[in-house]
Amino acid sequence: MLYAILFGLLMAAVAPLLHRLLGRWVAVPMVLAPLLLLGLYFSFMPEVLQGHAVVQRHTWVPELDINLQFRLDGLSLLFALLISFFGALVMFYASGYLEGDPLLGRFYLFLTLFMTSMLGLVTSDNIFGLFVFWELTSISSYLLIGYKQAEKEARVAAWQALLVTGLGGLALMAGLILLSVAGDSYTFSGLLERRPEVLEHPFYLPAVVLVLLGCFTKSAQFPFHFWLPNAMAAPTPVSAYLHSATMVKAGIYLLARLSPVLSGPDVWHVSLMTAGGITAVLGAVLALQHTDLKAILAYTTISALGLLVTMLGIGTDEAMKAMLVFLLAHALYKGTLFLVAGGIDHRTGTRDLNRLFSLGKHMRYSGTAATLAALSMAGVIPFLGFVGKELLYEASLENYLLLGICLVTGVAFVAVALIMGYRIFWHKGEEKTQVHPHAHFRLYFPPLVLAFGGLLLGLLVNSQALPLLQQGVRTITADPSLELKLSLWHGFTPVLGLSILTLLLGLALYLALPWLGQRAAVLQPLYRVGPDAAYHKLFELFLHGSKSFILWLQDGHLRSYVMYIMFFFCGLLLFILWRDTPGIDFNDRIYQLQEVRLYELVVLFLVISALVYLLGTRSRLTSIVVMGLIGYSSALFYILFGAPDVAATQFLIETLTVVIFVLLLHKLPAFIYLSHQFMKYKFIAISVVFGALMTYVMLLVQQQAIPSQLKEYYGKVSYLEAHGRNIVNVILVDFRGLDTLGEITVLAVAALGIFSLLRLNPEKGGKP
Amino acid sequence: MRTIIFATAIRYLTPLFLLFSVYILFRGHNHPGGGFIGGLIGSIAFVFHALAHGSDHTVNTYFRLKLYSQEGKQPEHASPQYMWDLVRANTWKRAEEVTPVNWRYYIVRVRPAYMMALGLFLASISGVPGLLQGKPYMTASWLELEIPIIGTLGTPTLFDAGVYLLVLGMVLKMVFTMSKE
Repeated sequence: MLYAILFGLLMAAVAPLLHRLLGRWVAVPMVLAPLLLLGLYFSFMPEVLQGHAVVQRHTWVPELDINLQFRLDGLSLLFALLISFFGALVMFYASGYLEGDPLLGRFYLFLTLFMTSMLGLVTSDNIFGLFVFWELTSISSYLLIGYKQAEKEARVAAWQALLVTGLGGLALMAGLILLSVAGDSYTFSGLLERRPEVLEHPFYLPAVVLVLLGCFTKSAQFPFHFWLPNAMAAPTPVSAYLHSATMVKAGIYLLARLSPVLSGPDVWHVSLMTAGGITAVLGAVLALQHTDLKAILAYTTISALGLLVTMLGIGTDEAMKAMLVFLLAHALYKGTLFLVAGGIDHRTGTRDLNRLFSLGKHMRYSGTAATLAALSMAGVIPFLGFVGKELLYEASLENYLLLGICLVTGVAFVAVALIMGYRIFWHKGEEKTQVHPHAHFRLYFPPLVLAFGGLLLGLLVNSQALPLLQQGVRTITADPSLELKLSLWHGFTPVLGLSILTLLLGLALYLALPWLGQRAAVLQPLYRVGPDAAYHKLFELFLHGSKSFILWLQDGHLRSYVMYIMFFFCGLLLFILWRDTPGIDFNDRIYQLQEVRLYELVVLFLVISALVYLLGTRSRLTSIVVMGLIGYSSALFYILFGAPDVAATQFLIETLTVVIFVLLLHKLPAFIYLSHQFMKYKFIAISVVFGALMTYVMLLVQQQAIPSQLKEYYGKVSYLEAHGRNIVNVILVDFRGLDTLGEITVLAVAALGIFSLLRLNPEKGGKP
Repeated sequence: MRTIIFATAIRYLTPLFLLFSVYILFRGHNHPGGGFIGGLIGSIAFVFHALAHGSDHTVNTYFRLKLYSQEGKQPEHASPQYMWDLVRANTWKRAEEVTPVNWRYYIVRVRPAYMMALGLFLASISGVPGLLQGKPYMTASWLELEIPIIGTLGTPTLFDAGVYLLVLGMVLKMVFTMSKE
């Protein structure tokens, strides 16, 4: 399975190249790649159906237990097949949808990258492996949403999606790490074995909260649902693939994967049911308020995701069955509807519901696909959607609140299905929509396949789909003997009655929609306080805040920066000195004063008088020269105390500094006093404090010298092994050569920075 | 700063400075010195030259090589006379004084930024021999011979030379840019 991932990454990398070589035929290899992966995953089917998990292990970072361990069980296989099958169709569809786009190669790169990371996500057993792929899906989603980079809307939406899911990703990482600490295992299978320890551990609650945060952001649960409708700025194949069928289900996948480990305590079930229920109802209500086809589909997707989370929250065997079947049905019909919406957009140039009438005459195949998908969405017998809906009702029968949620969502789904499958295609409207005459095979074939898939799986539900779904349910419930029975016809049960009631209510809602639409304008102000508006407010606040903070901190005066650094350093030192209260025994040091030589005093006098003169001077040239004098004097000190290397460097640097100053002298503005008298005294005080502290620390270090053999060691080894007698230099270029390499790299980068600053021309507005 | 004494003295002092800086570079392993100091000395040599003659002149003298060749002549049918002319034109005579034919010239420029890049490259590549021997990156290896004045050569010497070039290139880049404006 590692090779599957590597193959996908390779295909992603060569996609732009293939596009350049093959032109529009690039679609051929890009469609074949997912088909190949589909075949690969099919080959694992017999083993998985017997109840064994296929495990492949590759070490990656063994020291940190980060390994590429892949594990293919029923749940993973179901997802992997869905992803690669859908991937092939979407790749095919995209070649028609984006025909002639000069950036098609790049689009395939992103899309294949996404598909590969999604496959990696669902097959990883190692939590860090899963996290890496999780983040990769976020990043590729960002790239795909922002594919139409010229449009501001797309860029903003891409940012929003990345920030929301990225933030959730961070929370998820923390949660997974806490889980791994609690369960002392870095794999999901290991965590499952140690379930009792995880449940007892004090980290359980924070881990659950963080993991839920990650899953809810990814799967667009309330209150993080707002990024998904905005993500519809992406090209339609992306919306169908990422934001309906696969990526947003990554959160569902992880919840299902962790459900056997974490379920049990009330907090898990209650929070899942609450968030899922609110999301389901909210999505259903919001979907009916929109007239953009993609927006409607996006909100119903949110609603469906909410239902899935609710089912996971109920946590009974029936609920898990319902969850998995509904997930499959939803992926099939929602994918179809999205692709059809894309086709409509492509042919008519609009996605506005009120401008689309009786398209069925011109778009027969798309219309057929949409109608089939809509029937599945509405839950009409004999489609897979019907089976899913029945199971949903069955799972929530005992709790009236949950039943209500399912009913409301179902009714809204029926209404939306009528809109998508009946109104825009077959309803006779007063006005005709302009339709581009040329029907495109590549645009109607994939939705047809998906729509018939929904029908066939519904008809053959107890023979074809059953074994894999059963393995999936067994994985989620961690019960290897669980039997899954699916059938189209249950006989006359209360559930069937509910189904028929849903259909009737949905029809009524559809008929009432125009009337409701007039009333819905009242709700508009609500959008201004919703999470989307809150996100934008927060975003702007953050930008503004960081801007003003930086303006305050970095005022452009070098003296302020030096002052901050000194303040901070002094503060730290004073804190340590206050905490540890180390004292210096000055009596011991007094006798050292007797050893002071005359020339040392002379140099000291030179420095001090130069400093005093410097403070009073009003000429730049004088101050440069006096600064040079001070520098040379300190170099003298180095020589006197036996550090010729340092002294030589100091001499040279001083010389260079003076020369460079001289070079620049006539370009600098006139020497003015920027600070008044008080500022000067303030700076003097700070410098004196800093100097005194440093002196104190130096004395302290000398008094409390730590005995160490470092000096002897370097002295010996640098001659014997490093062939050098100059220990300082040998340390620099040999023992700590890597550090020096880092330093000179920094030096080079700093030089480039200085160079670009020098080239800035402030008179021309800072342009180079 | 165009005083004639300074300018004349610097013209002869700059090569000496450079020689000294290279000496300091190689000396660094056993005595005070090394790549950093050597690079600073070398850059000071050029900086003084630029101070005395102007930075354009420094660039033309030390960082730009004019290579002459005669138009229409291919290297394969070169006569000894042509070779002699070529050597003379490229070394001490002005091209026009050698023969009155059309001379074509190529300009090879050494930019300080390239020196920085080369220095960084040398420093980072000096660790590779260790890797090739299966030891950690930057494990030093030494030649067995001892050269007078320079001393033993080894990968740390290469590293130091990289530091030398980087420092030299960096200071020159800054000074040339500043004095150009």
